[in-house]
Amino acid sequence: MLQCIFLLSDSGEVMLEKQLTGHQVDRSICDWFWGQAISQGDSFKLQPVIASPTHYLFQVVREGITFLACTQVEMPPLMAIEFLCRVADVLSDYLGGLNEDVIKDNFVIVYELLDEMIDNGFPLTTEPNILREMIAQPNIVSKMLSVVTGNSSNVSETLPGATASCVPWRTSDPKYANNEVYVDLVEEMDATINRDGVLVKCEIYGEVQVNSHLSGLPDLTLSFANPSILDDVRFHPCVRFRPWESHQILSFVPPDGQFKLMSYRVKKLKSTPIYVKPQLTSDAGTCCVNVMVGIRNDPGKTIDSITIQFKLPPCILSADLTSNHGTVNILSNKIDKLDLKNLPNRPYKGFRALTRAGEFEVRS
Amino acid sequence: MFPQFGATAETLSKASSMVFRIGTDAHLYDDPEDVNIAPLLDSKFDSEKCEALKRLLALIAQGFDVSNFFPQVVKNVATQSLEVKKLVYLYLLHYAEKRPNEALLSINCFQKDLGDPNALVRAWALRAMAGIRLHVISSLVLVAVGKCARDPSVYVRKSAANALPKLYDLRLEEHTSAIEEIVGILLNDQSPGVVGAAAAAFASICPSNFSLIERNYRRLCEILPDVEEWGQIILIGILLRFVIARHGLVEESIMFSLRSTKSGESEKNGEATKISNKEDTGYASGNDDFGLGADMSGNIDLELANMVSRCYIEGPDEYLSRLSYANTGPSELNVAQFTSGKSNDDVKILLQCTSPLLWSHNSAVVLAAAGVHWIMAPRENVKKIVKPLLFLLRSSNASKYVVLCNIQVFAKAMPFLFAPHFEDFFICSSDSYQIKTLKLEILSSIVTESTISFVFKEFQDYIRDPDRRFAADTVAAIGLCSQRLPDMATTCLEGLLALTRQEFLSSDFGSVDGEAGVLIQAIMSIQSIIKQDPPSHEKVIIQLIRSLDSVKVPAARAIIIWMVGEYSSLGETIPRTLSTVLKYLAWHFTSEALETKLQILNSIVKVLLCAEGQDIQSFKRVLNYVLELAECDLNYDVRDRARFLRKILSSNLDSQGLEEETNILSLNKDLAYVLSGHIFGGQTKSSSPEPINYRFYLPGSLSQIVLHAAPGYEPLPKPCSLLRVDNVDQGTNGLERARNSDSFDTDETDSLSGSLDEEGASDYGSEHSISGSNVSAGSNETGSASEGDDNTDPLIQISDVGNAFENQHGVSHSGSADLGELISKRALESWLDDQPNSSNTSTSEQSQVRVSTARIFIGDIRHQVKTKSYTLLDPANGNGLKVDYSFSSEVSTISPHLVSVEVFFKNCSSEPMSDILLEDEESNKDSNSADQTLVATDSSLTSHNNVPILVPMEEITYLEPGQTAKRIIQVRFHHHLLPLKLALFYNGNNLPVKLRPDIGYFVKPLPINIEAFTDKESRLPGMFEYVRSCTFTNHIGELNKDKGDNLVVKDNFLVICQCLALKMLGNANLFLVSVDMPVSTNLDDASGLRLRFSSEILSNSIPCLITITVEGKCNDPLQVSVKVNCEETVFGLNLLNRVVNFLAESSLAPL
Repeated sequence: MLQCIFLLSDSGEVMLEKQLTGHQVDRSICDWFWGQAISQGDSFKLQPVIASPTHYLFQVVREGITFLACTQVEMPPLMAIEFLCRVADVLSDYLGGLNEDVIKDNFVIVYELLDEMIDNGFPLTTEPNILREMIAQPNIVSKMLSVVTGNSSNVSETLPGATASCVPWRTSDPKYANNEVYVDLVEEMDATINRDGVLVKCEIYGEVQVNSHLSGLPDLTLSFANPSILDDVRFHPCVRFRPWESHQILSFVPPDGQFKLMSYRVKKLKSTPIYVKPQLTSDAGTCCVNVMVGIRNDPGKTIDSITIQFKLPPCILSADLTSNHGTVNILSNKIDKLDLKNLPNRPYKGFRALTRAGEFEVRS
Repeated sequence: MFPQFGATAETLSKASSMVFRIGTDAHLYDDPEDVNIAPLLDSKFDSEKCEALKRLLALIAQGFDVSNFFPQVVKNVATQSLEVKKLVYLYLLHYAEKRPNEALLSINCFQKDLGDPNALVRAWALRAMAGIRLHVISSLVLVAVGKCARDPSVYVRKSAANALPKLYDLRLEEHTSAIEEIVGILLNDQSPGVVGAAAAAFASICPSNFSLIERNYRRLCEILPDVEEWGQIILIGILLRFVIARHGLVEESIMFSLRSTKSGESEKNGEATKISNKEDTGYASGNDDFGLGADMSGNIDLELANMVSRCYIEGPDEYLSRLSYANTGPSELNVAQFTSGKSNDDVKILLQCTSPLLWSHNSAVVLAAAGVHWIMAPRENVKKIVKPLLFLLRSSNASKYVVLCNIQVFAKAMPFLFAPHFEDFFICSSDSYQIKTLKLEILSSIVTESTISFVFKEFQDYIRDPDRRFAADTVAAIGLCSQRLPDMATTCLEGLLALTRQEFLSSDFGSVDGEAGVLIQAIMSIQSIIKQDPPSHEKVIIQLIRSLDSVKVPAARAIIIWMVGEYSSLGETIPRTLSTVLKYLAWHFTSEALETKLQILNSIVKVLLCAEGQDIQSFKRVLNYVLELAECDLNYDVRDRARFLRKILSSNLDSQGLEEETNILSLNKDLAYVLSGHIFGGQTKSSSPEPINYRFYLPGSLSQIVLHAAPGYEPLPKPCSLLRVDNVDQGTNGLERARNSDSFDTDETDSLSGSLDEEGASDYGSEHSISGSNVSAGSNETGSASEGDDNTDPLIQISDVGNAFENQHGVSHSGSADLGELISKRALESWLDDQPNSSNTSTSEQSQVRVSTARIFIGDIRHQVKTKSYTLLDPANGNGLKVDYSFSSEVSTISPHLVSVEVFFKNCSSEPMSDILLEDEESNKDSNSADQTLVATDSSLTSHNNVPILVPMEEITYLEPGQTAKRIIQVRFHHHLLPLKLALFYNGNNLPVKLRPDIGYFVKPLPINIEAFTDKESRLPGMFEYVRSCTFTNHIGELNKDKGDNLVVKDNFLVICQCLALKMLGNANLFLVSVDMPVSTNLDDASGLRLRFSSEILSNSIPCLITITVEGKCNDPLQVSVKVNCEETVFGLNLLNRVVNFLAESSLAPL
C-alpha cells in the first residue's frame, strides 16, 4: 500500500507531503527523484514506475505538478497510478485548475481532501460527488464569507447520506425545480497518416458526458441507434452490466451533477474530415516547409480551432513562418504552432455532440 | 514574499496578490510563522485555533518539524468543532509516533468520540486512534475496532476495516486471532463498500487464511461488481488465489500448457501423452473457433507459456535458479491439481463475475480482471480480455506504460491474441521512449505473414524518426520479426542492406552517435538473420564484406569481420575472396580501433584453421604479419592476444611449409592444434534456441514492472494446497463456523440496536461517559473475548501445578530431570499446593505445550519492605528546616479519596523552630485552573469536591536543633500525576512547597487468592489490559553479594523474586498474590517467573491487577514484562508507566 504522497512543483520544490502509514518516508526521496529527473532528462519524467534505492515511486505529472507516491511493498501499480490521476482530477476540479500557486493557496483543502481520499495507503472515498459534500469547494461566496466573518469551515458536519446508500455515488435526495439532464457526446479522433499520405490508423474515442440535475432517485435508460459500431466500452460504476450484456442498453442511476457515463471506441474509420499535406522542398541550405490544411468534402459540420504543431529538427538555425489564416507561434524548443481560429460553437442545451482531434498525426 | 521587489513594491504586490488570493489560505502557506502560534492554540475561539493549526500544517507541508507544539495541539482534540478536530487529527497522526507519551493524553477523547451519535465523528476518532500506532493502546484500539465493526453506519464499519491493518502493523501476536476474527466479520458484511475495505484488510493481514474466504466465496463473487473500485482490485486477487488453492488450475487454460509440454518430453508416461493428445485436439478446435484462417498460426509459444505459468506459481527466482542447477524433473504438477473450467462452479462463477469488470472505468480493475481471465479462463475465451486491455492504452500515459508491460507478456506467450490488433501498437510521436520500445517489442512478437507488410511499412517511417535511438530499436525489431517469420528474411535483408548503404552515406559526413547506433543495429540484425540460414545468404555476406571499405563504425566493422571468419568456408565465392580480404584487413590493421583489431586477429586465425590447399601459406604470412604488428600495439589487450595466439598456434606458424607435411606431430603440438581448433574453429551449430531467461510475475503486479520480486510479492498459491488442510480441519471448521455465526447474530442485534443508542442517549454529555462506555463495551466483550482468551493464555495454573506434582509420581515430563533439585529446595521454600488436581479439560492440552510452573510462597516479605522517601523541602531553601515525606501504606479512614503521607520534619539549623504547619495553598485558587481543565476529563477524582484537599495536621509547636518530628497527613490529590501545592508555615514564614503524588499509593492492597485473581483478570481483557516491558537489573548486585558471602547458598530464583517483590512493594501499595516459578531444565534461566499483585483504587475500589513476567538468564539483566488489568483505563496506563519506571531504574536495591 502507498506510504506517502508528495506534491512537487515544476521546479522540484516539495509543496506538500502526506504521510499515510506508520512507516514515514523522509522527503529526501524527493531530492533523489529530482536529481534523477534533472540528470536523465525528460525520459525520466515520463517513467511512471521508478525503483529508487529505498522505495518504489509512482509518478503522475499533470500541468507541471508532479504527484509522487511511495511504497516499499508489492501493490498493483495501476492502482497507485489510477489513484494519483484521480487525486489530480479531484484537485483540479476543486481548485479550478492545477498550478503551484493554487495548491499552495489551498493547501488546507488539499490536505483535507487527501485525508478523506486515502486511509492507511488504501483509497477511501474517491467519488467526487461525495467528496464535494464532505469538504466544501472553495468558491467566491465562501471566500467572501470567510473574509467578512473570519470564519471558514469547509468541513461538513455530518456524513453524506450517500455513503450509506446502495448507490454511493449519488447524493441522497437532491431537489431541483426543473429536472434536467444534459448529455454531451465528446469524441476525439485519433488518426495517423504515414509518409506516403496513406491513412494508417483512424479511430474515434468518445465519451458520453452527462450533467444530471434530477430530483429523487431517478433510473435512466439510454440506448444507441447502432450500438454495434462501438468497438469497446468502459462504464461509470453506476451503469448496470446486465442490460448492456443482453440488450446493449445503458441503464443507470446517475450521480448528481457532471460525470462521465461511458467511453467508447470506434475503430478502423476510412477517412478523416480534414486533410493536412506537408510539402518539403530544400534548396541550397534553405528548406521550405509548406503545410496545406483543408476540409475534405463536406463533413456536415463546421470545423474550428485547428492547431498544427510541427517540430523542426535541432539543426535549424532560424525559421520564418507565415500563414494565410490565423497566427503562428514559434516556441523555444522549436515546436511551431499554427493556430487557426474560427468562432467556436455556441453551446446549446440538450443533446450536443462535438468531435475533437485526439492524436492526429501526419508524418513527413 | 517577492524578494526581487523593493520594500515599497512588496506591499503593493502583496496587495495585488491579495485580490486574487483573497479568502484562501495563501498567506498561511507563505508566512506560517508571522504570528506567534502558541497563544493562538490556547485561544478560546475555534477560528483562532483553526488558523494556528493551519499554520502548523503549512509548516509540516514545507517539511519543518513542529512537533514541539504537540502538547498544546493535543489539548484541542476535545474540541466540538469538526474542522478543528480534523486539523488536529492531521497534525496528531503526523507526529504521534515521535511523541507517544503526549499522544496518550488524547485517548480519552477518542474513547468519548467513539460514542458520539455523529457517524463522521466516530469514524474519524477510530481512524485517528488507530493511526496513532502505539503499542500501549493497541488493546484499546482492538476493542474499539471490534465495536465499530458492528456499527450501524457503513462509513464507520469501513473505517474499522481500514483500521485493522494499522493495528496489525504493530505486530502484537496476542491480537492476531482477534484481528482475523474481525476481518471475518467484515468480509461477511452486507454492504459492498465494507467488503471492499475488508478485502484490503484481509490481503494485508492474513492473505493465506482461506477459511475466511471459503465461508463467503459465493457471496463475495456476487457482490464483486458492486464493491467500490479499489476494493475490487484487491478482492479479485484474493478470489483468484483462493480458487487456485482450493481447486487448482483450469485444464483448458493457458496454465495447462506446461503440463502438455512436459508430457511431450517424457513420453513414457502413458497417461501424460493421452492428456497431451487431448490437449492438442482441444487446441486445434480452439484454433478453428477463431476462424481467422491459416495465416493465424494460432501458435502458442508453448515453452514460453510453460515458463509463464511456472513463474506464476513458483516465483521466477526459485524457478530460474532451479533450472540453472539441474534439469532434474521439478515437482511435476499432477493431473489432480487441475480442474475443469467447464464443470467447476467456483471457477465459472469467478469468471462470470469478473467479466463485466473488464468494462470498468478504472484501469487497475480492468487489468486485475484480465489477469484472472488470463490465468483461469479456457483458452478460447481468453480473447475476451484483448479489447479491454487495448482500450486501456487510451488512458493516461502513466497507465499506458504499465498496461503495455503486461500486454508484452501476454503477447509473448499467446501472440495470436493480439495479432489482429497490431494497429493499436503503432507508435505515436507523443509516446515516450519507454512506450515506443515496448510497442516495438510487442509488434515484433505478434507480427504474422499477413500483417508483416503493414508493419514493415510502419517501420520504414520509424527508421526516419529524428530520435535515432528509437530508429536503432526499430532496426533491431525488424531483425526479430524476420527471425519469427523466416519467409520474410529476404525482404528484411534487402531493406536492411539498403539501410546500411544509406547509413554509409550519412555517416561519411556528420558522424552522429545515433546514426552509428542505427548502423550497428542494422548489421547486427543482418547477422542474426544470416545466422538462421547461412548458406542461402551467401550473397549478402559478400555484399557486406565489400562494403567494409565504406563502413567506418568500429563495432559494425567488427561484426562484418566476424562474419568473414565465421563463414569463411561457406559456399563457393567466399573462400575465393578470402585472401584479398585478409590482405586488406592486415593492411588496415594499424588504423583500426581496439575491438576491430581483436576481431581481425580472431578472424584470421579462424580462416587459417579452416583453410585448405595452397591458400594456407598466404594466410600464414598474413597472420604472421598481423601478429607482429599486434605485438607492438599500444594496447595491452591486443599485445596479449597476439602473444597468446602465437604460442598456441606455434605448430602452424613455425613450420613455414618446410616440415609441415613431414614432421612427426608431437603430442604437445597436436594438443595445441586441437585446442585452437576448438577455440576458433568452432563452426556455428544451427543456432540452438537460447534458454529463455525472462522473468514473469503475476499480471498487474509491481514486480512485473520493475522485473524483480518486490518485497511482499507472493506467487500464486500451490494448486489445491487448501484441499489437504481442509480435510483435516473440516470438523473444527464447521464447528467454528457455527459458533461464529451464532455469536454474530446475537452480537449484532445487541450492539447495533441496543447498546449504541443507549449510550448515545443516556451517557452522552454526562461526565461519566468514559466509564459508562467502558463498562458497556466490557459487557459486550465478555462473550466473545472469553472464548479468545482460552486460546491465548488461560492464566489458570491449576493443571500446571498438578503437572509439577505429577512429576514426582513418575509421569515422564520434560522437567523430570531437575526433579531432584526441586525437591531439595523445598527446605528453603514452602510449596503451596492449594488446589487438588482438578480436571480442567479445556486447558489440559495446552499445558502440554507450555512450560509447567510451580508456585512458591515468599513469607514475611512485607517486613523487609522499605518505602522510599522524597524531599519536600531542602534545608538550604528552608533555612535549615528539612522536610521529607514518604507515602504510607495505611489507608485513610476519613475518605477513600485521601492518601496518607508520612512527613518527617528535621531541624538542621542551630536555632530552634516553632509553629511548623503544612497547609493547603488555598490563597491562589486560580493558579490551578490550567491543571483543572486537564483534570476535568478525569471524572473520578474531581467529582467529590466535598472532601478537603488536606486533612490538617497537628501543628508542631517547637522543634529543637537536630530534633526530628513525624506527622501523618492525609492528602487529596487533584490528579494522580500532577503535584499538589502546599504552604509550609514555620517561624511565621510562609513557604510554598509541592507535594508530588505517587500513583503507586493511590491503590490499596486487595487481599485475594490466586483463583479470585485469575477470575478477575479474565474479566478484564482487551482494552482493560496494558502491557509494557522493561529491563530489570537490581537482582544482579544481590546475586553477586551472595556469591561473596558463600555461606548460605540462596536459590537464584528466590533472590530474583525477592528483589522484584521488594521493589514492587516498596514503591506501590500492593498485595502479593502469588509467585509462579518455572520448572525448567536450565537452572540459570529465569524465564517464566511470574509475580502477581493485586490492589484496588482508593477512590472507587476498582480492582487493579498487576502481573509481572520475567524473561532471561538469572545473572543477566532480565526482561520484565508488566501487565496491568484495570477497568479505569487512564489510571491503569499511568500505573503501568510508573511501575515500569521504578522497575527499570537501577538504583540500589532497597534492602
